[in-house]
This record gives sequence, C-alpha cells and structure tokens, in this order.
Amino acid sequence: MESETGTDVRSLWKNQKVEPAPISLAELRQKAQKLEKRVLWRNLREYAASAIVIACFGYYIWRFPAPMIRFGCGLVIAGTLFMAYTLHKRGAARAVPAETALRSCLDFHRRELERQRDLLRGVWRWYLLPFVPGLAVFLLGLFRWTMKLPNAPAHARVIMITFGLTAAGCGLVFVAVGKLNQWAARKIQREIDGLDKLGKDS
Amino acid sequence: MKTEFIAEATSRQNELYREAAGSYGGALERLARGYEADPDRRRDLVQEIHLALWQSFGGFDARCSVRTWVYRVAHNVATSWVIREHRVNSRTLVGLEMLEALPSGNDGERGIDQRHALEKLLMLIQQLKPLDRQIILSYLEDMDAASIAEITGISPGNVATKIHRIKNVLASRFHKGGNHGK
Repeated sequence: MESETGTDVRSLWKNQKVEPAPISLAELRQKAQKLEKRVLWRNLREYAASAIVIACFGYYIWRFPAPMIRFGCGLVIAGTLFMAYTLHKRGAARAVPAETALRSCLDFHRRELERQRDLLRGVWRWYLLPFVPGLAVFLLGLFRWTMKLPNAPAHARVIMITFGLTAAGCGLVFVAVGKLNQWAARKIQREIDGLDKLGKDS
Repeated sequence: MKTEFIAEATSRQNELYREAAGSYGGALERLARGYEADPDRRRDLVQEIHLALWQSFGGFDARCSVRTWVYRVAHNVATSWVIREHRVNSRTLVGLEMLEALPSGNDGERGIDQRHALEKLLMLIQQLKPLDRQIILSYLEDMDAASIAEITGISPGNVATKIHRIKNVLASRFHKGGNHGK
C-alpha cells in the first residue's frame, strides 16, 4: 500500500520544472573527440614528466664520472620507464562504453572502487619501489664521490649529516606516501565490503 | 560490404540514442539533479551521460529493456562522477540507515512551499551514498522494486527494505507531524 507522503513526494519530484537541452549528434561527436584529446594530453603530460626525469638523470650520467652514480642514474631511468609503462597500461585498460549498461550499478560501482583500491594498494609496487634502488645507489655514489673531493675531509661531519638527513628525508617521504595510500585503500575496501554485504542476498 | 555494415550499425546507434533522449531526457535531467548541485557542473554531467548513452548504444544487444539500459548508463556515469568528486572534496556521504536514525530537525514543519520542499529533497538525496541515491531516485521515478533491482543489481528483497527506509525518511521530513522512528 502506498503512503500519502510517498505519492506526494514522488509527484513533487516528477513535476519539477526541467528543461532538457537537446544535444545533437554532431555535438556528441565533438564532445567525444574533445574527450579523446583530453586523454591524449593527460598521457602526454605523464610522458613529459617521465621524459624530464630521464633527461635530468641522463645529464647526471654525463656530468658525473663515478660509475656508482652512473649506475644509480641508470636504475632511476629504468624505474621511470617502468612507471610510465604501468601508467600507459592502466590508461589503456578503460571500460568499453557498452560496459556501463551491461553491468548493474552494484557491479559497476564495485569495479570502480576496486580499480581505485588496486591502484592505491599497488603504489609501492609501481610508483615508489622502482625508484628506491636507483635513488639509494645514486645517493651512495654521490656521497662517496663528494668524500673524495680535495676539501672533503675538513667537512666530513657536515657532509655525512647532510647525506644522512637527505636519505632519511627521502625514506620518510616514501613511507608516508605508501602509508597514506594504504590507509586510503583500506577505506575503499570497507566500502567494497559494504557493497558485498548487499550483493550477497542478491 | 564492411562499410555498409558500419553505416547501418551507426545509424541504428543514432536512432536508439535519439529515441532514448526523447523519452528519457527529462528523467535524465532530474537524475543529474540528484547527483550534482551546481548548475554548471550539472550541465557537464548531463552531457557526459548523453555521450556515454550514445556510445553505449553501439553495443546495445537487447538483453535488457531500453529503459534499464538508459538508467544503468546514467546511474553508472553519475556514480563515477560522485566517486571522482568525493575524492576531490572529501565530502562525507551517508547511508539511508543513518538518515533514518537521524532526527529530521524540523519534524512537523507546515506550509513549506513546493520549491522549498524540492530543495530539501535534493539536499537529502545529494548527501546519500551512490547506491542509496540510485534507489531513491528510481523510487521517485515511480519504478517498482523489481525494476530497481534489475538496474542496481541488488536483490528485490533488499530493494524493498531500502524503499521502506526511504518512506520512513521521507515521512519524517515531509509529512505534517512526521512519523520518524516508526
């Protein structure tokens, strides 16, 4: 039996003044092209950022003669390439348009949340870890190279403290970014669990 | 031969879209109101829904009705929108269960005009989690539990429970004297 309030509110909702602005097929095609361009620019921005990192560390390879520094730079470049490849793969794995209709809202919502959760969970694997060996070797190489400079012995203590603090700072930033992402992933997981509870009876 | 096939498929896709936009244009505008309060951003959302709808009809295989198809696309696009916005604004969204338990603040309010009532209803909808929003919006569009279940993927039993909660929440906020808590 329908309550009076339900009917009232439903008629209030359905009788609200809306003016659907007709969208022509030409406009839709234009919008689709704009969207494709936006995705292309986003990808280009990501690749450009990777190119800048590669250029910087490429320059260091040329600038510093120490093999350890060069090796570290090579590892950072390899890590950057891996990250760019992961981003490229992630961008290519977008849902096909018909999927938005073939999946129920519950399923679609769950997949969207899963995608976000996996991205956050994997931050260590695809975003942080690839840079750790390179940066560690680079810093160590830079430290050894600095210690071999003619006036280094006079400032050995300051150099050690500076490098120690830099390494600790980098480590702290990495751990903080990793933890924050794990925390966000756990929050999303709770939402997924909530959806699963609803889906179990379905 | 291949060109003819593509042309035919595109024309069918365009035709399906035109029919759907004609039949559900108003409902899609109302649906977007439930997801986005800002008028400019809402226009963007409506366009995004129309674009997704048009693109999706390229793969329409009649395994469900056009209505279910349209509402699934619209709700799914709008849900992605909410998730995206939620990540940017970190707004806390609540479930129907929580709304039902909260005091309405102005039970028994009398003489509220229609515009005020509609604004109040929109505010209520816009603070809901996506799935609860899908259910309340479908309920407001006069859909029965079975249709809502088909669109959302939740069992009809769960939908019925949710609708019962929706009615309680609406009654406590819109009915003279209210029956909150019953």
